[in-house]
Amino acid sequence: MIMTQDVIQTINEHIAIIAPLLIIQAILIVTALVSLIRTEVTNGPKWMWALIILFISTIGPIAYFIFGRRNDT
Amino acid sequence: MIKAKELTKMYDKGYAVKNVSFELSPGKCVALLGPNGAGKTTTLKMISGLIAPTKGEVKFSEKKGGDIRQHIGYLPQHPQYHGWMTAVEFLVYVAQLSHISKKEAIKQSDRLLKRVGIAEAKNKRIAKFSGGMKQRLGIAQALIHKPKVLLLDEPVSALDPIGRRDVLNLMEELKQETTLLYSTHILSDAEEASDEILLMHKGTIVESGPLHQVKKQNQIDKISLRFTENMEVYADQIANMETVTKTEVKKQVLHVHVNNIHLAREQLLEKANEEKWPLLQFEVGQTTLEDLFMKVVNEHAMEDNL
Amino acid sequence: MQWRTIYRKECVESARNFKWIWVPLVFILFCIIDPLSTYYLPQILESTGGVPEGATFNIPTPPPSEVFMMSISQLNTLGLLVISLITMGTIAGERKSGVAELILVKPVSYMAYISAKWAAHVTLVVLSILIGFLASWYYTQLLFGELQFLHVLIAFFFYGLYMVFVISISIFMNTWTKIPGLVLFLTLCTLILINLFTNLLPHFLEWSPTMITSYLPTVLMNGDIAQNLWMASVMTIILTALLLMGAKIVLSKKEIT
Repeated sequence: MIMTQDVIQTINEHIAIIAPLLIIQAILIVTALVSLIRTEVTNGPKWMWALIILFISTIGPIAYFIFGRRNDT
Repeated sequence: MIKAKELTKMYDKGYAVKNVSFELSPGKCVALLGPNGAGKTTTLKMISGLIAPTKGEVKFSEKKGGDIRQHIGYLPQHPQYHGWMTAVEFLVYVAQLSHISKKEAIKQSDRLLKRVGIAEAKNKRIAKFSGGMKQRLGIAQALIHKPKVLLLDEPVSALDPIGRRDVLNLMEELKQETTLLYSTHILSDAEEASDEILLMHKGTIVESGPLHQVKKQNQIDKISLRFTENMEVYADQIANMETVTKTEVKKQVLHVHVNNIHLAREQLLEKANEEKWPLLQFEVGQTTLEDLFMKVVNEHAMEDNL
Repeated sequence: MQWRTIYRKECVESARNFKWIWVPLVFILFCIIDPLSTYYLPQILESTGGVPEGATFNIPTPPPSEVFMMSISQLNTLGLLVISLITMGTIAGERKSGVAELILVKPVSYMAYISAKWAAHVTLVVLSILIGFLASWYYTQLLFGELQFLHVLIAFFFYGLYMVFVISISIFMNTWTKIPGLVLFLTLCTLILINLFTNLLPHFLEWSPTMITSYLPTVLMNGDIAQNLWMASVMTIILTALLLMGAKIVLSKKEIT
């Protein structure tokens, strides 16, 4: 528990530095989800991509943009 | 207007198209008829410039120099699009690629979408289009730059009866504006819309000319005979007769092509009487274009089965 | 006119499939991940309990230019991969799907078709790198100390050239095959081979495009542009031009089916 408290404390101290990182990740997740909702077909089931985008940070949305979208749709 | 001279396309496996020559005169509608695999698509693609011929050339007589593609409209058998574009966006895009100003392109797109009957879907993304709609959009994109020659690859074969009717009517109209060359593997589609036909078989043109002329050429008088037994014996005998040009056996029926139908009938009946042929059937008739077409198709089918 | 039409279409396509959003963001991430993790390394080590109780652990703080080079080396691996991935289907994919048939049957110049696509990807990638560089510069300044902005801009100019070269390789490979995955493979293989040769024969290949990166630390430190960096850049520009011309030649010999 001490460990996590330390981490939380560190984060609190440095929130201004870390914030952009979190914002970028949030934007990535949101755009990926918007794209997922608007597209008709994806490579593989949509729900799977939704989970990947939501729960695998950073890599998830990127993987969706590169591999999930069908070309030309 | 367009002249194909000894067009030949060779692949590793052999000839896809061999020494195909023909001329398209302005305002004519020509059907390129033949079974699947006869080389129709390859021929059309060589004219459109998508495939370079191994040998031979395509000449466009009206204008010297310049890009021949400016004068050609082409509809592939299965047209594909950028699904993320709307119908109008795609038409404006290809129009601009054909050196048409954006303003004019928008005007033309609207006009053509109405003409092919999908005006209500103009702002819909193409990804949501049905097969028939894509085919109609395909005709619109082929017409967008007012080409002098229109090449359509199997324009009606993938359509339902209504769509087929619409497209055939549209082709009838287009005949007034451009020269039309379209491929089909269905004889009735060729007979319906075209003035001239080019019948392709194994990469070569086996028959060509105005439709009525080709039909006439293929109307050979023939007598069909059926025997209860020993057909081969009589077949040899008949083949040696004076007026007979050709004999062939199909489905237990002996077809005899003859020069002089009256004389041949007389002679055959006389012989049959004298020698007491075991005749089952004796029929006088004519071959048709369909017979020729079926022959070509069957030969293809047989080769595919080998 | 025709060129602009294709260029604009490519840019609109990148907008519709969100490339204009995610590629810059991803490049920012690649660029800031190392400055941040280097800065927080002591805390991270401490909180994961990797250090024995009471042991004072002294990690020397790297100089700003070195931190910035870490960002560049991230781009050199992950960035290159992303660039290859987003360009692998630009022509190959259109030929595979069949759209190319409708486009190239129109009186389109093959050079316009290829170079407009190239330019559209160059725009996207170079802008993304610029944004990534700015982000890295910001964090380096904030956490590690002074790094001259001018030096960063010079480094961006040369590094951008190298990335343009990478895009050109991918465009060239695009004309060889209809399979985007194979384009990716060929592009990466080419890059690896160039790297390998350059590392094996560094004295013969001082002007190799992949050497550009190795000249950048000096640029970042004191703004000096080595003679070899100029030569490598000229070489890169020449190779880029050759690749584009080669792409045109290959594509016009292909059957568009």
